[in-house]
Amino acid sequence: METWKEFEANELTHSAAHHLIAIYEVGLEYGGWARVSDVARELNITRGSVSINLRALKKRGWIDTDQHHMVKLSPKGQRAVQSVLAKKAVVKAFLTNVLNVPEPQAEIDSCKVEHLISRPTGEQLVHFMRFLVSEDPLAKQVLDRFRNFHDQCPETRTCDVCQGHCLIQELQQATL
Amino acid sequence: MNHDRAEIVEDLNRLMAEEVEAFLRYFQMKFRLRGVERLAAEKLLDEGTRETLEHAEAIAKQIRVLGHIPQLKIELDLHASPTNLQDAMAEMLEVERQALDAYREVLPRVAGDTMLEDFIRKQISVETEHVQEIATLLE
Repeated sequence: METWKEFEANELTHSAAHHLIAIYEVGLEYGGWARVSDVARELNITRGSVSINLRALKKRGWIDTDQHHMVKLSPKGQRAVQSVLAKKAVVKAFLTNVLNVPEPQAEIDSCKVEHLISRPTGEQLVHFMRFLVSEDPLAKQVLDRFRNFHDQCPETRTCDVCQGHCLIQELQQATL
Repeated sequence: MNHDRAEIVEDLNRLMAEEVEAFLRYFQMKFRLRGVERLAAEKLLDEGTRETLEHAEAIAKQIRVLGHIPQLKIELDLHASPTNLQDAMAEMLEVERQALDAYREVLPRVAGDTMLEDFIRKQISVETEHVQEIATLLE
């Protein structure tokens, strides 16, 4: 499968991930149970939309409902939420603590990829972060050196990273 | 304008969004339906589009009476997947139930405002009828 098509094939869509997280967050105060109206307020969308989207989540076994139309994460849904939140946390920590991306931007960017990165990538990112904050003197040195590294593109606008295309230039021209 | 009034306007904007979304769902549902049942359902879906739009307009008028301009905020992505009558009705029942619950939730908040209270009560009555009608079809 071509890589870009994997986004489409992802079982947990961005919308589904946010519905599950909203149920988790609203449910924290009520033993895991959430009302459709509270989920709608949390997501800032209509109750009708939430209700229709929950039907799809139920079909996939992410949530359970009761006779009063209350919703709760199923064990499968709980695992999905934990996984998404863990990936978001590590990506955000990497962006803010290592790359020094401002917190609001790191929040947005980590939200965009939280449900898309794979478990192995997430785990490796955690290991890498743990290495950077470890007692290993080299780790501290790497982090310090990076933070004090003032990068300047060569006049040729190409280097070992860019390999023919100046990535910085392309990023600066990008509108996204 | 006091804080309560601002909250009521917010409630009404939310109710209007529910109705407009329901309108769009009814509208699209007509074209998602497959099979001979489609012909039988078209009248019901047409009624649904007409009534939800009427409700949205009625709510917008209430907002205007309160001295505000209706603010419509919807995020909707209606997938173009085919459906059958049973699933379509189940989906519409869900939407109507949510609209009914939304009106019920707003009712205590407009207590004391005779005009709004009457309006919301009337909407609850109409929505209850819709829910019962669709639920009967699904029996």
